Amino acid sequence: MLMGRVVAGILLAALATTCATNCAAQAASRLSGELAWTIGYDPKTFDPAKVDDLDSETVRYLTGGVLLRFNRLTQTVEPRLAESWSVSPDGKTITFRLRAGLKFSDGSALTARDAAWSIRRVLLPATAAPVADEFVVPAGVRVDTPDTATVIVHLPQRVIGIGKVFDEIAIEPADRPTEGRVTSGPFFVAEYQRSQYVRLRKNPYYGLRDAGGATLPRASGVLLDIVENPEQQIRLLQRGDADLIDRLPPDYYELLRQKAPGTVRDLGPSLNTEQIWFNQTPSSPLPAWEKAWFQNQAFRVAVSQAIHRDDLARVVYLGHATPAYSFISPANSAWYNRALIAPHSDTGAAHAGLLRAGFRMQGANLVDAAGHPVKFSILTNAGNDARLKMATLIQQDLAAVGMQVNVVTLDFPALIERLMHTQDYEACLLGLENVDADPNEMANVWLSSSPNHQWNPSEKTPATAWEAEIDKEMNLQATSQKNAERKAAVDRVQQIVADEEPFIYLVYPNALVAISPRLEGAQPAVIEPGLWWNAEDLRLRGTR
Amino acid sequence: MKQLHHLIGSLARALLLVLLVMIGSTLLVRLAPGYLSDAREMDAHYGNTVRAELSQEGARSHSVPEMLVREAGGWLRGDAGVSRQFGVPVRKLIGPRLAVTGGLLLRSLLLGWALALCAALMTSLRRQSGIVWQAPATLLLAVPTAAMATLCLLAGGGGPVLVMSLLVAARDFKFLCRILRQAWLEPHLLQARAQGIRMGRLLAAHVAPAIAGQLGALAGLSLVTALSALVPVEVLFDVPGLGQLAWNAAMNRDLPVLLAITLLMALAVTSSSMLSGQPGEWESA
Amino acid sequence: MKIRLLPLTLLAALVLGASAMVALPGASYAHQDREQPLAGATLRHPAGTDALGRDRLVRVSASLLLSLAGALAASAFTTGTAAAVGALAAFAPRGVAWLVMLVCDAFLALPWLFLLMMVRSALPLQASPAHSAAITFLVLAALGWPACARAVYRGGLGMKRAEWVLQARASGLRGSQMIRQVLPNLLPLLLPQFLVCVPAFVIAEANLGALGLGIGEPLPSWGGMLLELDNSALLFRTQWVYFPVALLILVLLLLEAIPVEA
Repeated sequence: MLMGRVVAGILLAALATTCATNCAAQAASRLSGELAWTIGYDPKTFDPAKVDDLDSETVRYLTGGVLLRFNRLTQTVEPRLAESWSVSPDGKTITFRLRAGLKFSDGSALTARDAAWSIRRVLLPATAAPVADEFVVPAGVRVDTPDTATVIVHLPQRVIGIGKVFDEIAIEPADRPTEGRVTSGPFFVAEYQRSQYVRLRKNPYYGLRDAGGATLPRASGVLLDIVENPEQQIRLLQRGDADLIDRLPPDYYELLRQKAPGTVRDLGPSLNTEQIWFNQTPSSPLPAWEKAWFQNQAFRVAVSQAIHRDDLARVVYLGHATPAYSFISPANSAWYNRALIAPHSDTGAAHAGLLRAGFRMQGANLVDAAGHPVKFSILTNAGNDARLKMATLIQQDLAAVGMQVNVVTLDFPALIERLMHTQDYEACLLGLENVDADPNEMANVWLSSSPNHQWNPSEKTPATAWEAEIDKEMNLQATSQKNAERKAAVDRVQQIVADEEPFIYLVYPNALVAISPRLEGAQPAVIEPGLWWNAEDLRLRGTR
Repeated sequence: MKQLHHLIGSLARALLLVLLVMIGSTLLVRLAPGYLSDAREMDAHYGNTVRAELSQEGARSHSVPEMLVREAGGWLRGDAGVSRQFGVPVRKLIGPRLAVTGGLLLRSLLLGWALALCAALMTSLRRQSGIVWQAPATLLLAVPTAAMATLCLLAGGGGPVLVMSLLVAARDFKFLCRILRQAWLEPHLLQARAQGIRMGRLLAAHVAPAIAGQLGALAGLSLVTALSALVPVEVLFDVPGLGQLAWNAAMNRDLPVLLAITLLMALAVTSSSMLSGQPGEWESA
Repeated sequence: MKIRLLPLTLLAALVLGASAMVALPGASYAHQDREQPLAGATLRHPAGTDALGRDRLVRVSASLLLSLAGALAASAFTTGTAAAVGALAAFAPRGVAWLVMLVCDAFLALPWLFLLMMVRSALPLQASPAHSAAITFLVLAALGWPACARAVYRGGLGMKRAEWVLQARASGLRGSQMIRQVLPNLLPLLLPQFLVCVPAFVIAEANLGALGLGIGEPLPSWGGMLLELDNSALLFRTQWVYFPVALLILVLLLLEAIPVEA
């Protein structure tokens, strides 16, 4: 029938024209010699002093010129814009000598005045820079410039790891902050299309050279595509429109391993932990008997023993994770407590421990001494497949000792409201990202007065003896000047945590990355930003 | 004169709608859990700064009527407010995205309608409604948008326009098939077909007027479908349009942006229904 | 409206088969066989296992019963409400119709995501998965009607001008009796709406999992299994992930084949 043929023809033509539009290519086209990778969201700010989210931090890391850089591989502080630096014996005076002939990306000279201005700006309360808190008492800090190449910073009190703080302070032109357009770092912000990409160009006046004498940065620019969908990221890498993928999920790792074997790398355990904890806040809206369970050490230890961490690592992470018993990962070799004694997986021991603590079995269910069945919910955040799977596996593990567990996923703001404001939750499964190997950076979790002391935030006085002891040891490591003393204090904290199980650690996920074979110079490290901490040295094969 | 009355009536309706939507959205967003929370509160570096910001905001947005008055006042002055997430004026955020989303919607609707009409015409003319002919549309409805997006990425072709037009086509096809089948069974059309009058003439002169009213209603329905499919499609394909902005705003409780977008949506739905309703109303005039 | 017996019996057989699968002794939708995650078809697991080692056949059967019951009930509720509201607006005085349609439009534009979050926060955290599933379908049903109500209103308006309606009104038929005469003529609009709603609710329930609603673990969710298809890594590892979507298409086709319109 003619009608049918005409109609069929129109259909086919319409489909064909639409299929021809390859709208999967949302990425901008790359310039020659340009590196490319993806960030998840728009950077909230390009002002290096006001950075308070991950993607803005990425842009600051790549564009901000810093006096000192923390080498993520060797974990030592190296001078960058500063030629040399020294700290006085009492730790209160830091002297920087700037290199000669430093320039900003627009050609203007960089002198000590610019450095001092940038540091002072970060310390101003009006700027509300997050990094100012690292100085402990930012108001008491004084910056002097005796000549155009020397900067002296006077601190009111000693700060542990002060060198690393300067890794986060970008030196900008004095009196004219440009939000990343004029920088002293290897790149500057050349173009920004909201929700599409950020394009960084090479700073032609970045005077540093690498060991071989080549000018840095080696690449002509960096293209940061704003792509959230992990499927898109994989496509971009496979098509050659992206050179790196950081934090690859385990199943995509396996997929890429089969499709493009040379590109993926498993860097071993990361510094991050996944853990589960119970709400021990006395003022929470939970019924009294539930609070009694969660505050009972034997209960928490039994839960820790009932969980099969090997299964979590094997089934959820496809083997790319290590069972965890402490907040310090084995990748953190300087601080990991090898002599730690922690309760390992043993359902029989868990059961026995619960019976000793006054619980008893009623059929297949566990009930406490007053007859309340042991039922609680585990909260985790939506959108994280691994955490939901872990919660489901834990649900079955705890069912083996008679506990009935409900798994609930919430979106992040609602979850945070429950965790930090209303304390209306029973158990929570989340992960902690440690960007720094030094335990002092984790102090906000362990000090009982801190709002991040998750299981019982903002305590006026430590609620238990062991929390008081943790406070004491963490304060000791914050002020001590002897490494051995600090290590002993942190070891002691790890042992207390393993005994009392306020956080029940589950696994250390491995750092899984993908690196395009065209990229040269990559030296992946475990500390963020692990893949491109040496962005100046990265270059594409075939470019000079 | 009646047209003028009608126009004033429509404007009044639109204004009332805007008011209702504003009040409803503000209530919903403010009272939903997590308005004054942010994931960065758990971050060691940024926790303190974020908490300070949020408590300042809490002092400002304590009561809903206060917030409403502030937002409404801003709108009356022509200022749509400043985004809570990005700190840029809402107008600057929405402007470039409006064109992108408008283009996406238009192309998908046109293509979807073309596909649905062709497919419905072909199947409605068959003597028996073969269930097999319904299968492609059923398949498209059963597969979630996310899966379709992944399949497009795997195939290396297609994109947001294809996915959205397929969704719209699948839904419209189900309705159109039945409407057309009923139309073909009208006695005068049966006789016309029996007498051998050409298909094109039949369609233009007899079928089209008969189903015009229902087509208008269907157009409104398909616009609503397209709008609801817009958000997942834009998010999955990373299209910098209003849907993606709306999703980010919802996840981050960005009230000014959400208000602006819901108002736009309300106006789009109302104007489409007013447009599709006009012929009917003029007829009865 | 007549009913075809063959698709109805096939559908009933499917439901009975699924119930049998679930009721078999030793069959469990929650038990994790951790040694065999994402396994292919074996004797013990005829349709393979999912990522946590749970038997896929039992899970799909259980999810068929659960999601289908919920989605069918919710679709029926939505379509019924849309029909009632639309017909009411069409045959009511102009003022009432104007108000009803205004409320419809406002309903369509509001961000109901936040209402769903509020529902979740009002639910106790310990609400059982089945309880939370029921609430989810109820909420979906309550939010889905405005889209179709306007189309029904237009259809009803068009019908108002039809000859037989004019005659009925002239003969003195009251409004409520009119509605009973009119509704069957609206079936071409209502039936496809019902059939379109069923898969939409199945998938929407899974999407609501992101807000804490939806069917909780360990109960299997059909929508959840469908959403697995967006992970290309999973698609490469096993072909059995296509089983739930194939079954859904079969069920929908059967549902569509049941009613015979005149």
